[in-house]
Amino acid sequence: MADLFPPLAAAQVDAKSKVDEKVDYSNLPCPVPYEELHREAFMSLKSDNFEGLRFDFSKALNQKFSLSHSVMMGPTEVPSQSSETIKIPTAHYEFGANYYDPKLLLIGRVMTDGRLNARVKADITDKLVVKANAQLTNEPHSSQAMFNFDYMGKDYRAQLQLGHSALVGATYIQSVTPRLSLGGEVFWAGVPRKSGIGYAARYETDKMVASAQVASTGAIVMNYVQKISEKVSLATDFMYNYFSRDVTASVGYDYILRQSRVRGKIDSNGVTSALLEERLSMGLNFLLSAELDHKKKDYKFGFGLTIAAAVSASGFG
Amino acid sequence: MAAKRIGAGKSGGGGDSSILAKISNSEIVSQGRRVAGDTVEVSKKLLWSTGKAAWISGTTFLILVVPLIIVMDREAQLNELELQQASLLGTPPSTMQR
Repeated sequence: MADLFPPLAAAQVDAKSKVDEKVDYSNLPCPVPYEELHREAFMSLKSDNFEGLRFDFSKALNQKFSLSHSVMMGPTEVPSQSSETIKIPTAHYEFGANYYDPKLLLIGRVMTDGRLNARVKADITDKLVVKANAQLTNEPHSSQAMFNFDYMGKDYRAQLQLGHSALVGATYIQSVTPRLSLGGEVFWAGVPRKSGIGYAARYETDKMVASAQVASTGAIVMNYVQKISEKVSLATDFMYNYFSRDVTASVGYDYILRQSRVRGKIDSNGVTSALLEERLSMGLNFLLSAELDHKKKDYKFGFGLTIAAAVSASGFG
Repeated sequence: MAAKRIGAGKSGGGGDSSILAKISNSEIVSQGRRVAGDTVEVSKKLLWSTGKAAWISGTTFLILVVPLIIVMDREAQLNELELQQASLLGTPPSTMQR
């Protein structure tokens, strides 16, 4: 009989503290950044499936500086009018240099087809972060540049975006309750003269994350991720465009094990894809990618190897 | 047609019954033939679509489930090995906490 009371009392205390937690609106957690609203769902569902061979090698020269080399070989799709996909074999080499510092992050990438990608992320104070992203190509009018200023408040985040071709955007996200955060965005583009607004909501508990986003461009995105355990999560997403009336829904799993990670997905267009990442030994990862599209009769298979010599190996992508 | 009539005439005893038999025979035969043809057609289609469905579901299974099973099996083996090692070394298994 005496055994019964402590859990009861504990439960009461728990409930009390929960109520207190709910009342305390002045101490809400900081929400996730607006552009990362769907990050859990994207991590499970947007696996970067590839076709052909991929080889990545990265070597840390010292604690802060690392170089990366990657080779990609395989067929790439050529955009065409007909429904049949046309593929031509291509091969690319990419050279990258990374500089990591707690306050400063510099990433540069050069590809053999003349594309150059540069990213800078600098923490000016603990609250203000400046990000810059530039993409240069040898084709005219396809180079891009973007500046982001992120401000992290106690229970909100604000971001100002400035891009080339007079793009101005701002996002704001605020925690409303400890679990729910609401946000909005505004953008204005100068060259294809258009502007828009969007709203987003995100609800998360320890076991699930649900997020929804709607924009005046007509896109509606909804995501739901259920974490079954620490290793397994199931995700589903739903995308709908109000103007073009196309709907896509997909459901997938993400299984993280000690030596491997498997992600699988099937979507409403009948495309099945899976990506297996297997750690063979320290710093040596093996990738197997498969994607089946029965409707278009398009089957993609790829394998890859990722070698990270010494410390860091997370600069890919 | 002629062969059928001869056959019907041979087997039938009287003229009346032979005509009846002939009519019923021919109708059944034609109907049967049609039904058989339809059945073959339908079953062909059914077989083909089942085959296609099996192909699609089989390949989907191969892509989505088979790697998962293999990887989970490996994980289980690894866990077992670790447990064995732990028991050999004599470390007590971690107690569950409420």
